Amino acid sequence: MRTSLQAVALWGQKAPPHSITAIMITDDQRTIVTGSQEGQLCLWNLSHELKISAKELLFGHSASVTCLARARDFSKQPYVVSAAENGEMCVWNVTSGQCVKKATLPYRHTAICYYHCSFRMTGEGWLLCCGEYQDVLIIDAKTLAVVHSFRSSQFPDWINCMCIVHSMRIQEDSLLVVSVAGELKVWDLSSSINSIQEKQDVYEKESKFLESLNCQTIRFCSYTERLLLVVFSKCWKVYDYCNFSLLLTEVSRNGQFFAGGEVIAAHRILIWTEDGHSYIYQLLNRWAQMGAAYKTFSGLSKSIYPFDGRGLKETVYPHLLCCTSVQENKSCPFVMGYMNERKEPFYKVLFSGEVSGRITLWHIPDVPVSKFDGSPREIPITTTWTLQDNFDKHDTMSHSIIDYFSGFKDGAGTALVTSSEYIPSLDKLICGCEDGTIIITQALNAAKARLLEGSSLVKDSPPYKVLKGHYQSVTSLLYPHGLSSKLDQSWMLSGDLDSCVILWDIFTEEILHKFFLEAGPVTSLLMSPEKFKLMGDQIICCVCSDHSVALLHLEGKSCLLHARKHLFPVKMIKWHPVENFLIVGCADDSVYIWEIETGTLERHETGERAQIILNCCDDSQLVKAESVLPVASETLKHKSIEQRSSCPYQLGPIPCPGLQVESSRKVADAKFFPRPFSVLPVKIKWSNIGFHILLFDLENLVELLLPTPLSDIDSSSSFYGGEVLRRARSTVEKKTLTLRKSKTACGPLSAEAQAKPLTESLAQGDNAIKFLEENDVIKRQKKMKISKKIQPKPSRKVDASLTIDTAKLFLSCLLPWGVDKDLDYLCIKHLNILKLQGPVSLGLASNEVYFSLMLPGWDLCNTEMIKDCSGVNLFSRKVLDLSNKYTATLPNQVGVPRGLDKNCDFLQESNTIVYLLSRLFLVNKLVNMPLELACRVGSSFRMECVHNKVRSAGNDILNMSSFYSCSRNGKNASNVPEADLSLLKLISCWRDQSVQVTEAIQAVLLAEVQHHMKSLGKIPVNSQPVSGAENGNCEMKQMLPRLEWTEELELQCIRNTLPLQTPVSPVKHDSNSNSANFQDAKDMPDRCALEESESPGEPRHHSWIAKVCPCKVC
Amino acid sequence: MATIMAATAAERAVLEEEFRWLLHDEVHAVLRQLQDILKEASLRFTLPGSGAEGPTKQENFILGSCGTDQVKGVLTLQGDALSQADVNLKMPRNNQLLHFAFREDKQWKLQQIQDARNHVSQAIYLLTSRDESYQFKTGAEVLKLMDAVMLQLTRARNRLTTPATLTLPEIAASGLTRMFAPALPSDLLVNVYINLNKLCLTVYQLHALQPNSTKNFRPAGGAVLHSPGAMFEWGSQRLEVSHVHKVECVVPWLNDALVYFTVSLQLCQQLKDKVSVFSSYWSYRPF
Repeated sequence: MRTSLQAVALWGQKAPPHSITAIMITDDQRTIVTGSQEGQLCLWNLSHELKISAKELLFGHSASVTCLARARDFSKQPYVVSAAENGEMCVWNVTSGQCVKKATLPYRHTAICYYHCSFRMTGEGWLLCCGEYQDVLIIDAKTLAVVHSFRSSQFPDWINCMCIVHSMRIQEDSLLVVSVAGELKVWDLSSSINSIQEKQDVYEKESKFLESLNCQTIRFCSYTERLLLVVFSKCWKVYDYCNFSLLLTEVSRNGQFFAGGEVIAAHRILIWTEDGHSYIYQLLNRWAQMGAAYKTFSGLSKSIYPFDGRGLKETVYPHLLCCTSVQENKSCPFVMGYMNERKEPFYKVLFSGEVSGRITLWHIPDVPVSKFDGSPREIPITTTWTLQDNFDKHDTMSHSIIDYFSGFKDGAGTALVTSSEYIPSLDKLICGCEDGTIIITQALNAAKARLLEGSSLVKDSPPYKVLKGHYQSVTSLLYPHGLSSKLDQSWMLSGDLDSCVILWDIFTEEILHKFFLEAGPVTSLLMSPEKFKLMGDQIICCVCSDHSVALLHLEGKSCLLHARKHLFPVKMIKWHPVENFLIVGCADDSVYIWEIETGTLERHETGERAQIILNCCDDSQLVKAESVLPVASETLKHKSIEQRSSCPYQLGPIPCPGLQVESSRKVADAKFFPRPFSVLPVKIKWSNIGFHILLFDLENLVELLLPTPLSDIDSSSSFYGGEVLRRARSTVEKKTLTLRKSKTACGPLSAEAQAKPLTESLAQGDNAIKFLEENDVIKRQKKMKISKKIQPKPSRKVDASLTIDTAKLFLSCLLPWGVDKDLDYLCIKHLNILKLQGPVSLGLASNEVYFSLMLPGWDLCNTEMIKDCSGVNLFSRKVLDLSNKYTATLPNQVGVPRGLDKNCDFLQESNTIVYLLSRLFLVNKLVNMPLELACRVGSSFRMECVHNKVRSAGNDILNMSSFYSCSRNGKNASNVPEADLSLLKLISCWRDQSVQVTEAIQAVLLAEVQHHMKSLGKIPVNSQPVSGAENGNCEMKQMLPRLEWTEELELQCIRNTLPLQTPVSPVKHDSNSNSANFQDAKDMPDRCALEESESPGEPRHHSWIAKVCPCKVC
Repeated sequence: MATIMAATAAERAVLEEEFRWLLHDEVHAVLRQLQDILKEASLRFTLPGSGAEGPTKQENFILGSCGTDQVKGVLTLQGDALSQADVNLKMPRNNQLLHFAFREDKQWKLQQIQDARNHVSQAIYLLTSRDESYQFKTGAEVLKLMDAVMLQLTRARNRLTTPATLTLPEIAASGLTRMFAPALPSDLLVNVYINLNKLCLTVYQLHALQPNSTKNFRPAGGAVLHSPGAMFEWGSQRLEVSHVHKVECVVPWLNDALVYFTVSLQLCQQLKDKVSVFSSYWSYRPF
């Protein structure tokens, strides 16, 4: 995901499954972090009153999360590291939800401990890791690179668990581990830092065989610095830390498995089990009991304790004080933890996470006591929460994208979407439902209907089609034209649970053919690559859940081959074009080679040979993106290295020959296809629950919107001049190039054919864009022209109205509605955008693969916000402060000329939108700028510097330079650069203060909108006469006959541009600085366009009405 | 038409009944079977600490190749460790016989066996945590368990079937070369690994490349078995492999273990398939 890509998640009514495999609470007790089997992390907000609410879901891992740990000193940096089953490691900032660092190592960790020794270590510290490899790995917490390892000289084995012991007494940190075989080992930590950094081998100091297997936890009692608690699955033991002599063994009763434990106070321990129970024990010392403690616990003396006559110096026995349990016991395995906070609010919390996704908290009293009769007291559950609770509580936010339509169909209940596909070229979203219907709708309209507050216009208009043909839930969809332009663009394939595949004509809604495969649910539909053809056509490959593969020939409406011999799920399908072989790779690493013509199984290979075969035909591969792949790889992963399940022989990282897995095609489309708007259907492993992500490409939006004023300027002499055409064509060509690169079908269209609609829209100018009737005319014209051409619609047609609608939806999603009622009103009126129904779930991308999505109810996570719950979509309270700061730095002078354009105008409106978007883009870029770059920017306040540095900083940032250059252009002008400079400084500051991108964007948007709207609204709102005049204008507008109106409009276009060229124009004289700008602008028309949109106070923004009105121009 | 098979209420009831049976009875039957097989497999690995205490039994393997008799090795396997090794090497040039043996106090862990053993015990642990008394409520739960078990089993199998690919410097640096009592001459490298059901021993004879040699030096990458002519840099010297001797011997219990892995993987997959048949229910209807 590029950073300019902004995502909005449209969740369904059902929460995505989140089977918790790891859980932790951050040191500040504000956030619970959970890792799931599905590969996502979830951040839960924990309030001071110990209430839980899910905040956001972090996507990135493509396999089950195995462990979580702190990755920095939490008070300095709120970083958490997560490790996954396939060797991925990732450091997350849990306040912002961003991925800070990621790495894939050929090691599977099961436990991680953060270690930092401030006075002996440089850097950010170490992550001590253990897992399915020998001994303990040391990984640098900052770079995630392997530093070295702690080696064992005797019985090297996998390590099950470990703990770090900070002993005040001996001023030495030690690492205690227990191996799989039950061997306790001790390494010196602090004194071996130097040897580790010099890569010398460090061997264990002590080791002892503990005589039990499956060690779960080892804990040191820091209160007494004497006891060591070791929990095995079948028993728990207490050792004397001084000489590792066994003090106590407690065997589990009634078949419970212990899962962990913690020392919660001196001589007081907490043990928990795999089925969610926990027990608090007081460890009683036989001798101490005789003394003072005897009186304290005299009531307990009745209890029988095991006395082992092993001649230990001390004899300890446990007394059960309290216990906890979950309501429905005997369910899934629990992962639990205990947290003892030394800072406010001093809670001792026992927490557990279940496979079902439920989190339960128990507040452990400071002094747990048993009942008066000595029997254990049950500690009640303090809080319990699931993701689904969040979805139920905030149901306005949890509607799927098509709920509105499916609601139409049958009044009661909405159908669950089981599969969906987005067609970028048509902006259509196809959703297959649980009841077998398929709904086709315009994606942008559907999104608007879902997100925005109901204006009747939006609600009624979205057209949709319902295809009925399946009797079972639709499991997979395929739009072949999207993959290869050679196929008919009306074709769409759908497969259902009943292994019926239907070929549809989506325009006529007809069933063209039904294939009955009789092979269980259709799990995925794929298409052969373009170079692989059979009978002159590409063929469809259909994978069913009985592991069979069927090849369908669409033109011939026939099934060519049904390969049914596979014992394990199909993982990979490759094609051998020359010999017509279908090569099927299965989950057990075996390979089947089928001859397509005859339908016979040619070969079956396993092991090494199979690997060779699969690697051989790399070039003709079509990788099956499994429908059950975790979200991360399904959606935003372009290429993932699938870890081969082979462990390294030695510690040195051995390059595992990974399989290059190209993820599903539609994703590639979404990534490479520079479209302002697209929809990404997401499905989560082991379920049929899916949701949609709306992707707004900010950069692309700005790009698409900007050329319009550009045409206004330099085409005044030659409106349809070659200049524009050439430019347009070149951009299109450039895009076609990238298109081709990304293997996206671009069709047989020449660049010219594609350029035409583009120039068309350019020619129309954005004057026309928002005027509805006019809009329709354009649409009709376009349709006419296209039908005349009798060519397929250009796939990259830039639909101006679509773009502006997208921009409006995007702004709606970002604006903090309800903060300022007047502002809301002004926005709706002047920007013509609609209010949100509820807060949106925004996504935040950290890099191409890792991103986070807000969950329904995120807005209530900020506790301080509940107090004054005015804003509907306010990301955080900080936004308001930031926005005030921004407003303060905004130059006042700019506001002055702005007062002149007081009219509500469509040109103005779209210009404002463009201006706002370009601002947002700039902010986005600035905040996302790499840190080292930022440092330089920070050190040099000079604009030139910023500009140059940015230029030198690679492609991505280059885009930004246009904005800089435009502000540089205006340097000779009086106030603009200074103002911009201070703004840039301010925003750079924000980044250093770790303000989140979304916060920054919203703050800037709010400030800009306030600034803009207030100056706009000042006169109309406050003084009656002017608003009356405005009304008069509107009437005038309406009075104009339509045809005249359009003519007039074109005239105005020219007239509008003319004064720009000639500084003599009376309007221009409003401000000298602006005319100076335009002198520059002539030289650099591109930048001029930008510049204009940057400073909206310019006269060019004077509406056409201003010019029609005789008093001003004529 | 097959599609008009919209299941009637009666059919649905039967299906649900069948699914309930699957979750409550059949799954446990399969899990028990799996456990039995895997326990049998883990016995082969002679898990320390489980069952009979005391030293694990030693097995001697005589390694040879069908072709030449230049290298002969007698390796003693004690669980996952090589406790003794005797290697006889007949130098091809002068027919001089070289003999090396492990130092008395040293053992060499065969990490492949250790890893495979650990993976199996992890799989067993996963299975024992869901005993008869545990009630599966959804099909997805079974699928997740099976996925976890299969993951461990596949890894166990892959550890045995795919030996690590090492570079020559890595072999030279490994502790194995330092295990022998008369230290290995500097022109010899030894590597021991498991490939499928075989215990393999490779001996590389090296010769130094002259610094001014015309051969262009290209260091060899990682491989299970390097071929003569492979070059590498060790210390300040550039070396080339002149002869490679590989001898191997079938370890019967490894063969058994591999068969057990395959069988249990298939059992797991079959159970997954059975559950998947009812996939239309599992996510909505817990039992």
